[in-house]
Amino acid sequence: MKDTKSVWFPAYRYVVPAKLERWLEQMSMSGWHADRIRQWSSLYMTFRRGEPKQYRYVYDLQAVPRRDYKATYEQFGWELVGKMASVYIWRKDYDGERPESFTDTESLQQRGSRVIRAISFSFYLFLLAAVGLTVGLVLFFDGLTTEQKIQYAVGMLLAYGFTVYLGMVMRSVSRTKEY
Amino acid sequence: MDLEKAIKRYIPMSETMFYILLSLQTPNHGYGIMQHVKEKTNGRITLGAGTIYQSLGKLDGDRLIEAVKEEDRKKIYQIGELGMRILKIEAERIAELYHNSEGLR
Repeated sequence: MKDTKSVWFPAYRYVVPAKLERWLEQMSMSGWHADRIRQWSSLYMTFRRGEPKQYRYVYDLQAVPRRDYKATYEQFGWELVGKMASVYIWRKDYDGERPESFTDTESLQQRGSRVIRAISFSFYLFLLAAVGLTVGLVLFFDGLTTEQKIQYAVGMLLAYGFTVYLGMVMRSVSRTKEY
Repeated sequence: MDLEKAIKRYIPMSETMFYILLSLQTPNHGYGIMQHVKEKTNGRITLGAGTIYQSLGKLDGDRLIEAVKEEDRKKIYQIGELGMRILKIEAERIAELYHNSEGLR
């Protein structure tokens, strides 16, 4: 039996922070641990087989953490699993009550709005691309070969698709009760 | 931040903010604040690392508290003059709430 397992695009399949946390926890419960999270783990995450363990994972997006960021979490008993892009993943094993890092609505909402801000950057980028491609297609429609038209249309559809997807993700991050 | 702006931003304040300010009358770091607040509220409020980190950043940025020392990357904060004034204004508001809720208990 293989001792490692990889998952493609985990951060895109579970974009809502609480969902990614729950997923990592379920993986650990079934004995698959993401022991090292690196820059590229949002695209490709590797799990190592081990004893099933009850962990609480925490997703915290910090673009410019202060000097005391890590020390604060570590003092509270959290272990840094790693950082992918600007997202820090922390974990703590526990019995009984599931520990929390964000213990009031205000700070949970703040975490959510940091995520939304990060996603909105890509959202506007894709929107811009989609609109640009649409304008291009309309302006140059007559001069294009059928093949070029198809390429244009596919690009447009992809760009619109991503825009709509990211829009839905932002809405679900801002609406979800659990953030 | 001037007092007027701070009043607008912090009053009424969350329990988290209130207890962090109250606790920082004695210099302390994040974990120490959590322990102190837990004790003061008989275990009702256990502040998490993320919540404390964010709140300290906000309070420090608005000059309600200040970092007085740093011990191996752990910052020790203390309430400042502005923070003390805000805390007292909030305490007055809570006293009014308490007064007006007499007879309900």
